[in-house]
This record gives sequence, structure tokens and C-alpha cells, in this order.
Amino acid sequence: MAEPAKEVPKQDDEKLSPAELKKRAKAEKQARRAAQKESTGAPPGGPPTANGAPTGEAGSNQQSKQGDQKQKGQQQKQGGQDKTQHKRSGSQAQSQVLAHRRRPSQGGAALQAAVANSNVPKEPKKENKQVELFSHLYTQRRHTVEGVSKDVHPAVLALGFQMSSYELCGSSARCVGMLLAFKEAIQAYTTPLGTSLARHMTTHFLSPQIDFLKSCRPISESMGNAIRFLKKLIVEIDPSVEETEAKAFLCEQIDIFIRDRITVTDQAIASSARTQIKPNSVVLTYANSSLVSKTLLQAHADGIPFRVIVADSRPLYEGKNLAKTLMLAGLEVEYTPLSGIAHAVKDANLVLLGAHSMLSNGRLQSRVGTASVAMHAHQADVPVIVLCESVKFTGKVALDSIVLNEVAPSEELLLPQPASEASQQSAGEDKDEESSSSKVKQLGDWRDIKNLQILNLMYDITPAEYIRMVICEYGSLPPSSVPVVHRLANEGV
Amino acid sequence: MPSVVPGQAPSLSTFLKTLKSKDIETSIELFISLLQRRQIRNSRPCALATTQLLLRVVAGERTRDAQALITRIRNVGRRLVAAQPGEMAVGNIVRRVLGVIREVAEEDQDQSATSDTSTPTSPSQSASKATPHRPGISSTISSFSPLHHGGALPHDMHARPMSSGDITPLAQDSAEQRPQLGATSPSYAGQGPTQVTSLFGLFHTPQGASPAGTPPPGTQSPVGKPAPRQKDAAADSKLDIKAEVIDGIKELLDELEVVDSQIAESALDHIHSNEIILTHTSSQTVQKFLATAARKRKFTVVHAEAYPNDHLATHATIVNGNRKADDSDSNPSDADERWKPLTSMGITVILIPDSAVFALMSRINKVILAPHTVLANGSLIAAAGAATIARAARAHRVPVVVLSGIYKLSPVYPFDTDELIEFGDPGKVVPFEDGEFMDAVDVVNPIFDHVEADLVDLYITNLGAHAPSYLYRIVADHYRTEDVDLLAKEVV
Repeated sequence: MAEPAKEVPKQDDEKLSPAELKKRAKAEKQARRAAQKESTGAPPGGPPTANGAPTGEAGSNQQSKQGDQKQKGQQQKQGGQDKTQHKRSGSQAQSQVLAHRRRPSQGGAALQAAVANSNVPKEPKKENKQVELFSHLYTQRRHTVEGVSKDVHPAVLALGFQMSSYELCGSSARCVGMLLAFKEAIQAYTTPLGTSLARHMTTHFLSPQIDFLKSCRPISESMGNAIRFLKKLIVEIDPSVEETEAKAFLCEQIDIFIRDRITVTDQAIASSARTQIKPNSVVLTYANSSLVSKTLLQAHADGIPFRVIVADSRPLYEGKNLAKTLMLAGLEVEYTPLSGIAHAVKDANLVLLGAHSMLSNGRLQSRVGTASVAMHAHQADVPVIVLCESVKFTGKVALDSIVLNEVAPSEELLLPQPASEASQQSAGEDKDEESSSSKVKQLGDWRDIKNLQILNLMYDITPAEYIRMVICEYGSLPPSSVPVVHRLANEGV
Repeated sequence: MPSVVPGQAPSLSTFLKTLKSKDIETSIELFISLLQRRQIRNSRPCALATTQLLLRVVAGERTRDAQALITRIRNVGRRLVAAQPGEMAVGNIVRRVLGVIREVAEEDQDQSATSDTSTPTSPSQSASKATPHRPGISSTISSFSPLHHGGALPHDMHARPMSSGDITPLAQDSAEQRPQLGATSPSYAGQGPTQVTSLFGLFHTPQGASPAGTPPPGTQSPVGKPAPRQKDAAADSKLDIKAEVIDGIKELLDELEVVDSQIAESALDHIHSNEIILTHTSSQTVQKFLATAARKRKFTVVHAEAYPNDHLATHATIVNGNRKADDSDSNPSDADERWKPLTSMGITVILIPDSAVFALMSRINKVILAPHTVLANGSLIAAAGAATIARAARAHRVPVVVLSGIYKLSPVYPFDTDELIEFGDPGKVVPFEDGEFMDAVDVVNPIFDHVEADLVDLYITNLGAHAPSYLYRIVADHYRTEDVDLLAKEVV
């Protein structure tokens, strides 16, 4: 009964009274119950925000509370702790251990997400650092294992942290990673007595894994589609089938899914898109898409002479990785920051873009900045072609980049302090001198500067009219055909 | 303001400091090298340095002959412009100073003409002399390169009679001095009919077009009067040409000093409460404009950081208000006016990377840009990223307002915009330590963007607010036709 709660309070057992312990265990159990109910109640086909939000919140409240305290604790230099802050010590001990992973301030986005709880210690009211327009998007990314359900498989655990730290990045890569991790998890799964795999696995086993992944970083459309596929598969398993057989079947199906919907598809798209690259043309791309990279490499391997311009932006610098890959393959590469896009477009004959997802109203959701590139290309009459597997197609629609988006921690936008110091011109020196007199602030102090907010969006929405063509494994389509293909590919209708 | 440490890399302030002590030729050489090494860059420092330098040049000149002075300034100006054609403010200031000299000379000749009836130059004669020298715009248009030739001129400048409204920095005094149009036009028609080469010009009032300070009608020179050719005319004039010119240049300096506050004065006419305003770069003009509005109204500013060339300065501006980096600390006139960051005035500032401009544009009410240079057709050169902002604004039908001092307004017509774009240090994009990458990959870092005139909705200058289509008139008011092409062979 009290099992799930035991994990956390263990560390501060001596400080918690038994009554408190019990209370807490109860609360956690309730949260878990609610989470399970929610995830069973919602239809498997529903959008993740719909079926995931309540669960996620129930879980993330817990997490963010801890994250919040951890942060506050660190900011206060562990000075003013009184008895009412008993909860902090445990998370603090952990946060110190895990501090090397990420800066503690990175949990700060949760400041508001943390529900004002009665036993949260009072302290001078912190200014809300969230941009009002995007307040619905702020979530705290999990970077630690604290508070994680014990059901989460280690492979999924590792994957989650890889996602939250961008080690694993990109819609398809994350999807494949998730499926592989699930495969491992499924193999470790045993059906409890008195229930069947089809009934138990989705709600009691898969859901905690998915919730955990969501708490690390909001999941992508491709992951949502893959999860839907998997859930459908599990539900359809005949209860009379033996467990090992069912598990083998699931693993096999996952492999087939990865192969059919991503690996082979990628090759098909790459060879189809390759024909769009004419000899001696200049191909412009933005950030790093595995599909674009594949296409360019294949075209190069086929001996087509062409040049590539890679545009890139802060803070992820994904384009640099692409440029490096292409450079090592021997392509002629030009690399420019997004500010130079107006010039890059003048030279380009073709714009190839990757996708995070294709929305049902023909719009493209992709790395923030993509819309600017597409806009310039559209105005310069350079064809914009989106390469996208059908697994990334979604039934969602969006008109602007605000409702459907992801906000990354603002701290990612801060420049590494020593580097900025060094790169600053001579004026930086007097700046330093003055900062010693605590007059000059750095951007790094942004949390202490009233009214200053930093917004780090992950995606933006490119209007459909900027997109000339979408290449998927079903062929080349206009953006208006996305919903049709989505039905065909993801909903099986 | 951090004072400049001796031994620091040369900058505007060190240049201005040494200006007094060094002889003129050394100063010119120093300025040229500073320009070439980009140690003085951006419009305002360039304009300031040029004005100060020309002040020195004029002061050091012995001659009392206006023509000699013009030749001298032209020669200096030509060297300066050639040193860094991208900094159009240099050329603009040179032209303004030339305009000052010409005006003084005309006034002077005016006076001598009234005293001595036997003026050697008749207007018609000089007019016929002057016409062949006017840059024939239609014939050179295709091969015309602004960078190589210094400037082109709007068509109507052919017709435009030389008014003396060229120096006139302060808008305030202009209001009272608006000349009566009717009073001057008869003399215009009577004296220089050969001047009117286009129908368009017929309807021009010779001097009233610029609200910016037309001198009192009494001092108005007859239309079309060229600079004095006769040396003796200048020599025995009662006016001290040099002193007048120096006064004119000082007025120019005053203008440079107050230009930001003049622009900021109109802030409340353009910003209402609860607006969301997008801007980029660390422009001082924009910050002042917003700060002026912030005293009365509450709004939100979304600030794109202008990576990779200006983001550090932008961050510093957002965090600390008055700039620490490059040019303003070297600007002594700014030393006393520290301004607070917008955040401390209760304005919410949201810092975004440039990539998020399009994503946010649907919620932006107004875009405010600061140009590097404004060109005669109403287009502008601004920090890289401005084109993206302006186009995204157009895509979302968001008005784009450009704040620019008149000194940034250049008579250059952008026939080849690529030529106007400067490319910066690729090391700012990819560190040079990344040797393999730098070797194999062509890293491109443009500093400027060209923004077409039709993407701009409004220009706010120190003279007021104008439509982009009106800018050519302001150009015509501020630059003499003869001076537009600085690199041309000796004119007049």
C-alpha cells in the first residue's frame, strides 16, 4: 500500500513524524490512482495533451514541488531552514548529488506550476518569470530520478534523461528510441496473477513509462502515433495467448513498425527527395533533420554536384551538426546563422526542411526559425519542400505558434559565462570592474531582474502557403493533403 | 559611463581626444585607419567623428574662399568615404558640411551682389555651366554602384533649386520660420527658368519643403545661384565665411546630440498602453524612444537579440540600460545621460532568440527597427535579422516603424543592395578553435540586411514622422545636388 511513497520519505525518515509519513503516502497513492483512472478513461486515440494532461499534472505537481523546493533551497544557500521546511532536506540531499547534471536554476520554470501548497515555506514572493502568452506551455523538465514511479523501466529512465538533455533529439529519433526502450521494458514485463496482458499492460505498465517520458520532455507527434499503435496492438491481443508469445509478438510488431514507418520510409523519402536536387543547384536547409541529411548524403553519393547552405540558430546549434556531417561526407557546405537567411535565400534554388510534425491544416510544426526560412524562400520564389514521414502527421491543427508549442528552459539561452566574458570586446573589461562594485548585472542574473523574461520556444508553425510540397512515403503531396494521409497512415481508415 | 582607459583599443573617444592635439592631416589619416579597421563603426560614432574632424579641417583652413573650402572638404570627404563606403553616415555628414559651406557662400555672394551691382556671374550663365555637371542619372543607372560612386540622386533634384534649407538641424525653430511660399516663388520663376527641367519641379517651393529649419526668408538666396566662382567676390566679402561655416557645423553637432531625444518626443504618439512591441539590436534610439513612452504608458517589449553580431550589446542594454559596449562608452556626450533599462521602468521585456520572431509575430502590435542607413527610396540597411522581422511583420500585417536620425538618411539609391551588405567575422558564428569546421565549411555572417521600402510603414526622424515614399523629399532638402556624388570629378 505505502510502497510507492516509501521511496522518497526514506531519506528524511527521522525528521518526519509517522503521522506525516502516512499522510503523504496516502496522498501519493491517491495521485497514482487518479493518474491510472485518467489514462484508462481517455480513449487511446486521443491527443496526448488530452489524455496525458491530468496524469501529467498529478505527477508533475509532485515533482515540481520538489524541484521548486530544491531550487529555493539552493538559492537560499540552505540558510533559513526552519522546521516547516522538513520536506526540503531530502530533495536537497538528492539535488546536490545530481547537481552536476544541470544547473539547479533549470527547474525554475516550475515556480508557478508548483501549486501553492500550505506547507510550502513562505518566502519573499518571487516574480513570475513565465511569459504570460505561453503560460500554458510551461512544464518542468525532469532531470533527476526523484519521485519517479518504481514501475519505470531502467531503459526508459535512461531514455527520458537523454531526451531532456537533448542527447536524443529529433522527432523520429525520439520515436525510435522510445519504441526500443519499450521493447526492452515489455520483455521485462510479467503479467500479475488474475489479469491478462491485454488488460493490464497498457494502463498499469505502459502508462507510467509514458508519463515519465512526458515529464522529461513533452512527447512528439510521432511518439504519440507510435504509442497509439502500441496500445491498439496490446488491446487486440487475445487474452488466451500465452504471455511470452504475446511479448514476442509485441516486440516483433515494434520492430516492424520501426522498419516500416521510419527506417525504410526514410530511405524511400530520401530517394524521392533526391530527385528534386538538380545538378549545380544550391540547397538551403535549416537546423538538423535526419531526413534532409539522408537526402543530401544520398544525392551526394549519387554524384550530383550541388552546394548546401545550412542555416542555424541559438541555442541548440543543430545545424552545425548537420554541416559537420555533410562536411565530413565531402559536400560543399555553407553555414550561416539565421540572421543571414535573407542572403542565403538569394543563392538558393531549393529549400529542404525537416518536420517535427505536419498538422492537419497543412501547416508545418518544426524547429523554431523554420517559418522564417520558409517565408523568405516563399517570397523569393524558391520552392520549399518538407520531408516528413507519415508517422509525424497529426490530426491536430494550429493557426499560430502559440497554442501548440513547447517552451524550453530559458537558461539554455544564457551564454556560458566565461565564454561571454572572453568574447566581449575591450568594453567587457570595464564591465567586469564595475560588476565587482555590484553595479552591472549580467544576463545570467535575469531571475533577479524584475520584469525581464526570457523566452525559449522550441517550435514554430509554418503557414501552409509557404510550403510547395510535402514528401512522405506515400508520395509527394501538397500540404492540403496531409489530413488524408494522416487518416490513411495513422488511423487506418 | 566607463571612461576610456588609456592604452585601450582606439575608438571614437580616443579619436576625439586626440583630435585636438594632432595636426589635421594626421587626424584624417587616423580616422581613415580607424574606419578601415572598423574601430569606429555604426552610424552615430561615424557621424560624430566625421563632423568633429571636418570642424577641425575647416578651422584649420586659412583660405577665406568658399570654393577652396569646398574643394578641400570634398577631397577629405572623398578619402573618408573611400575608406569605408559602408558607413554612409560619413558621406552624409560630408555632404551636409558641403551644403553648409555652399549656403554660407551663397549668402555671402548675395550680400556682395546687393552691394555691388556688377556681379560677375549672371545666374543664367552659371546655370548653364552647372547643368552639364549634374549627374545624369538615367545614363549611368545600370552600371551605377553606390559604393563606388558615393551616391546617386533622386530625379527631382535636377529641378530642385538650391535652397538654403540644408543645414537646419533643429526642428523646433523651424516651426516659427516657415517661409511664405508665395513670396519667394516669383523670384524663382523670374530668375532661373532654365533651372526647371521637369514639370515636377514647377510645383516645388524652393525652400519650404523641409520643415526643418528654413532660414528666415530674408536670407534666402536667389534660386539657382551657384557657388561663387570669383575669388575676389569671396575675398572682399564682409562675412567671415569660415566662422559661419564653423557655426553651421556646430549646429550639425548639436543636431547629432539631440537627435534621439527629438525622435523620442513623438513616442507617445505611436505607442499606446498594453501594446506588445518587437524590436531588435541594442539601438540607443529605440531604447530612448521606448523609455519615453514608458514614462506614461505600460506596454510589453519583445526584444530579439540579434545574434551573432550584436547580442552581447543587446543583452547588456536590456539588463543595464545604457550601453557598456562599443560605441556609447566612447561617446562623451552621452556620459551624463545614463538611462535606466526599460525593465526598471515597469516595462516587461521578453528576450527572444531571432528564430522566434515569426512565432511571436502574430501577437505583436508594432515593430520598431533602428536602421544603419536609410536610403533615398525609403528602403533601409539594418542589422542582420531586420529583413526577417520586417517580412514576418508584413506577413502578419504588423506595422513596421523605423526610427532614424536624419544623419542616417543617405542620398544613395540602392541599385545593387548586395553591395551595401557587409559581412562580418565568421568567428562570431563558429569559434576559430573549430579549425576543421572552419576550413571545410564556408561560414557566412552578414552584418546587415536590406529591408525594402514597401515593408516599412513609417519613418520617424528628428523632423517628424514620414511615409517611406516621402523620404526622397527629405533627402532633397538636406543634400545639395552637386554633392550627392562625392566621387565625381570636380563640379561647380
